[in-house]
Amino acid sequence: MTDRPGVAILGSAHRPHAWSYARALASSPNARLAGVYDAMPELGQSIADEFGVAYHQDARVLLESARVQAVVVCSATAEHRAHVELAASRGCHVLCEKPIATTLEDAQAMIEACRGSGVQLHTAFVTRFLPLVQQVRATLLAGELGDVIAMVGGNRGRPPLPPQYPQWITTPSESGGGALIDHSVHITDVMRHLSGREVVRVGAEVGSLMWDIEVDDMALMSLVFEGGMVASVDPSWSVPAGNPWDYDFYLRIVGTLGSLSLNDVAESLRLVSRHRGGGLRLLPFADDVDAAMVEGFVASIRAGHLLGPCAHGEDGLRALEVALAGYEAARSAATVTLPSPRPAHRAV
Amino acid sequence: MVTELRAGVAGAGFVGRAHVNAYAAIEGVRVVAVADPVLVKAERLAARVGAVALSDFDELLDAGLDVITIGTPSATHATLAIRALEAGLHVLCEKPIARTLADARRIVTAAEAAAGILMVGHVCRYEPDHRRAKDSIEAGDLGTVRMVSHTMTTSVPGWSEVGWLADTEQSGGPLVDLGVHSFDFISWAVGSPAVRVHAVGADTDAGPATYVLATIRYANGAMGLVEASWAHPVSHGFKVSTEIIGTDGRVSWDYDQIAGGVIHFASRDSIAFDPLSDRGFRSELAGFTHAVRTGAPSPVPAGDGLTALRTALAAAESVRTGESIDLTVWGLP
Repeated sequence: MTDRPGVAILGSAHRPHAWSYARALASSPNARLAGVYDAMPELGQSIADEFGVAYHQDARVLLESARVQAVVVCSATAEHRAHVELAASRGCHVLCEKPIATTLEDAQAMIEACRGSGVQLHTAFVTRFLPLVQQVRATLLAGELGDVIAMVGGNRGRPPLPPQYPQWITTPSESGGGALIDHSVHITDVMRHLSGREVVRVGAEVGSLMWDIEVDDMALMSLVFEGGMVASVDPSWSVPAGNPWDYDFYLRIVGTLGSLSLNDVAESLRLVSRHRGGGLRLLPFADDVDAAMVEGFVASIRAGHLLGPCAHGEDGLRALEVALAGYEAARSAATVTLPSPRPAHRAV
Repeated sequence: MVTELRAGVAGAGFVGRAHVNAYAAIEGVRVVAVADPVLVKAERLAARVGAVALSDFDELLDAGLDVITIGTPSATHATLAIRALEAGLHVLCEKPIARTLADARRIVTAAEAAAGILMVGHVCRYEPDHRRAKDSIEAGDLGTVRMVSHTMTTSVPGWSEVGWLADTEQSGGPLVDLGVHSFDFISWAVGSPAVRVHAVGADTDAGPATYVLATIRYANGAMGLVEASWAHPVSHGFKVSTEIIGTDGRVSWDYDQIAGGVIHFASRDSIAFDPLSDRGFRSELAGFTHAVRTGAPSPVPAGDGLTALRTALAAAESVRTGESIDLTVWGLP
């Protein structure tokens, strides 16, 4: 096809994700990987080389190419705003890594910039693309559980420490925080996506209890949504060495007509091999959700509007708002009430 | 040859039956009397072990007992437990220790002054799954415990006399009835007292705040999450799910996973084998009677029951007010 949009990786500081999105773009029948930018060659060069595209140390040079219609922003969270504004100013659609920003002000500016330029802004809430989540969504939309009164969700993982992960993820000024901001946004977003409701009150406990790092590695958030639905979120980097899985996503829902629970770790095989350390390992066989999200982004670009279940920039803003309220709740040892209803933000 | 311990059971409901069976399984313990205001219930239960059936608590205290189980509705615990202590008996008081903090404190005071011991029936500490987890913690498998989540989910309890348990005013709802198990177990597992709690709850057909999520902080920095629900469908059954995360490891289990067998029938519901059955009650009462025989202190003293109840009532207050509750001051005399 000749009209496949060119999509560039704009910042690869979140290297594991940048690599995964680059792979998805490189193998997509509907898009082209159009280059990789990162200010640091050691982050960007190897990804570009692996997928046979040009590496650029200057974002402007990459975006000047007429072959770039869209970007995936995968830089350090505090740099998202600069990269999104740059892309918007060049008329490029944006898929921005989560959390969308470290401050509400930055997130709002990013939304405004994209709206002003008439380009789409997506937030990389990959969990929405899990078939499990979409199956649950269909069940809820059909009313099979009645009114949802409660949700309990978690996204736990290993600590994102060097050398596998870059230093910035555990540096507060660049990441905005630790486990709470990093993982809770996924769960908050899924709860918003499934319930169609906004969070009105947040309570949280936060601590650096597991690993010797500057940011929080453990947290529990309690949420109250419009209409009274209650929820709890565990975003902790609490997976110990030797655990048979690295990350999980689970969700339990209670409705007036039934309850359900899902756990993506269940979709795996159990392996013991002396070549893999000897202990129990789980071998997940789920589809690549990063690829599904990238395809959703590309399809939205071609459609000229954002297609479900893609997340808007505003979804990123809402989840960030809840995460920051969580930090405030933990700091003040008090619950935090969010303004309701929210000021209107219209999507492009 | 050990001297026989003479046991009495007040309350012939769910817990009374479990305790009669458990006492009967312990060598050297004989259930001599069962009392319940509904005499036919007492008779039915007493007949299982050849005990006397009574309708009056005074007669039970006069039955020549050494030990007594108070397995009556929560609001009656304080009066009955204190009278039993004053009568010189060793008392196993079912959880929650009481319905109110004032009642719980009366029990604590009476237990301090009494010759006999008072043990609170926090049976989770004796359930083989929870016990094994605690042993693993004590063996150092997990390092320092940092987070515990404890979930007890079911539908509205339908088995109590004139529905006192399902009445959230009388029983305190799932937060008090189920949650005290969780609050007690987590604090025991963490090895540190709770210092803060915030909780959110939903009203359901089962009553106000019959689904609750409570987040707890402990003095040593650890966190806990308690889910207490009567809002699940009947088909969900009664489920416990636990996860304990430490600096060096993680242990987790849930009722769906620990059943060792399952039977599917052509014409009725499937049955999963129950690996726990009455093992917790048996172990609990073995611990109680052993302490009585050896003159040891109460394995679960009244103060622990008070602490679990105070945490549960603070969580209920948090659900009502939307505020975070400081447990270093809340509900203290």
